[in-house]
Amino acid sequence: MERFSRSGIPVKDFYDCKDIGQTRARDVSKPGEFPFTRGRRAQAQSMGGWIQRELSGEGEPSRSNEQIKYLLGKGQMGIDIIGDSPTMAMLDPDHPLAANAVGTQGVSLCCKDDYLKLFKDIPLDSISISSSLPSIFGLTGLFLAAREAGIPPAKLRGSVIQAPFYSEDCGYAMHMPFDLRVKLAADVMEFCAVEMPKFHSFVEDTYFISESGLTAVEEMALGFVEIRYLVREMIRRGVPVDFFAPRIAILLNCSMDFFEEIAKIRATRRLFARMMKEEFSARDPRSWSVVITSHTSGLTLTAQQPFNNIIRGTVQALALVLAGVQALEISAFDEAYRTPSGESHLVGLRTQQVIELETGVTRVVDPLGGSYYVEYLTDEMEKQIWQMIQDIESKGDPAALSDKGYFRSIFNKAIERYARQVDEGAVKVVGVNIHQLPPEEDMLLKDVAEQKISPCRERIKKIMAYKESRDVGKVERALRELYNLSLSRNQNLVPAVLEATEAGATTGEMAGILRLAFGYPYDPHGLIKPVVEGIGQ
Amino acid sequence: MRKIRVLIGIFGLDQHEVGALSVARMLIDGGMEVIYAGRFNTPSKLMRIAVQEDVDVIGVSCHSWEYIDYTPELMELMKKEGVDIPVVLGGSVITPADELVLKNLGIAAVFGPGAAREDIIATISELGARNKNTAG
Repeated sequence: MERFSRSGIPVKDFYDCKDIGQTRARDVSKPGEFPFTRGRRAQAQSMGGWIQRELSGEGEPSRSNEQIKYLLGKGQMGIDIIGDSPTMAMLDPDHPLAANAVGTQGVSLCCKDDYLKLFKDIPLDSISISSSLPSIFGLTGLFLAAREAGIPPAKLRGSVIQAPFYSEDCGYAMHMPFDLRVKLAADVMEFCAVEMPKFHSFVEDTYFISESGLTAVEEMALGFVEIRYLVREMIRRGVPVDFFAPRIAILLNCSMDFFEEIAKIRATRRLFARMMKEEFSARDPRSWSVVITSHTSGLTLTAQQPFNNIIRGTVQALALVLAGVQALEISAFDEAYRTPSGESHLVGLRTQQVIELETGVTRVVDPLGGSYYVEYLTDEMEKQIWQMIQDIESKGDPAALSDKGYFRSIFNKAIERYARQVDEGAVKVVGVNIHQLPPEEDMLLKDVAEQKISPCRERIKKIMAYKESRDVGKVERALRELYNLSLSRNQNLVPAVLEATEAGATTGEMAGILRLAFGYPYDPHGLIKPVVEGIGQ
Repeated sequence: MRKIRVLIGIFGLDQHEVGALSVARMLIDGGMEVIYAGRFNTPSKLMRIAVQEDVDVIGVSCHSWEYIDYTPELMELMKKEGVDIPVVLGGSVITPADELVLKNLGIAAVFGPGAAREDIIATISELGARNKNTAG
């Protein structure tokens, strides 16, 4: 019977030297050397480890500040902030559609003071601060908080996610046109190349698109298509490739197909190195070796028998550690049925600590290097990812593809395919389509689902009061300036966003003004009017 | 005979769409017609579409806690406007305790994360057929 990996690569009973003799595995030299298949560095993880963290963010900024301090106190090495759904959609808490969602799935952030509260007493100069917020606001908020705390922005480490291609179709829609999404991403990257050289201003997030059920090949091909587009855009702007390429990172998913996921990561490092060196002529070796950060798959988690999710997280995390990632987050075991609880985040962190400190798997770099099977899979993944990249790029302008719904159709197909595979049992999911338990026996760890987080209605009132208390003239002037600069199309908007935020403008207002400047409605849901009159009419 | 028409939508700012799309496909495969309202719906918007499209069942996919507030609002509104269409809810965040509360609000059926495909299709087509008949 023929067998295949999840991405459809044919697999034999066993592999030997003949399977890799004629392939690129021969030119895989040492870890830390081009093309970096075996890892970014030659030193073993135990010399420095990977950044162990969990997502955080809940309720008011001050509550999230407590949560961050709690996780740092438990040994977490960096932080990763997620906004609530209004924040992720660039809507203020007082937007009518936000009422039932403020602070329930992440932290609510919309003005300067929020960021000051979020980062209060956090050592911004010694730990890395990542966020999954809309990049321009995550970046400017952090920048202002650092400046206020007297920390030079040039010292900041951490990252923001850039997802201009896929955010509308698959995840947090911002209701902005393709050109504006790309512009904001490139503006942030350009700004950071000068002002925040240690900061990863471009995290390519293939995690969230992969959660639609993409195969590993599809995940990385779509990721590379976006990376390549933004790299070309930066070069077109005249930013030398070695100024920004070392600050590119990839945040990828780790699903259940253990060896294929490891091969995916090794192939990704190799593809990136070749592309940067040979295609984009990068000269600095740091531009060749991409930073890989990772998140274990939420899609593979189940509401049935939730304890199984702890095991899934452990297996996926082990794959990521063996593949040599630079940062790791484990999806919370309860996230299949609620916004993750504090307890589940602690389990995720402890899983990482057990892998690092008890198993010894980090003693050497790339312990699977040279395995006939892993090297074969790495070569196959590389070939297939590259083929799909070329296939997509041959279809023409991505802006047109995006508008035509080409990307969305890929995600929708993946969603249907995965649902069908689970339904029909082609993909085995323990507790779901095999080895089920009757509901009355399936109680372990279920009680946590009954503890719900209520929306912070107080926060809505506070923001309404804040908006009343501002110097309205100052806010209006700053927003007009942002609008006029946006119309010019070729000015970097980060300084204007910083100024407008200082002047008291909110995320929702600035996003609305940017939409207007690009011919979109101020409020995507048609429920509120612009704060500034006479703009965009 | 026309097919049973089902509206599938998501409340508020819940951006999780995988469940809604999977269920939509499941119902189409089950012989029904799906009107897909997608994300970002208020109760009044869902009700308006349901009436305009003359659907037999309203299905809401819930993967955030927003349904806790929006569901009573939808049911109130439908009662006030005299709209009599069965509403079903499904989603990962719905617990057995929630199910009781929702049934008391007049929700016709609730599908938690363990619901079987056949049950979902059978229940919705039965509700739809019943509603279609009473509507004439």
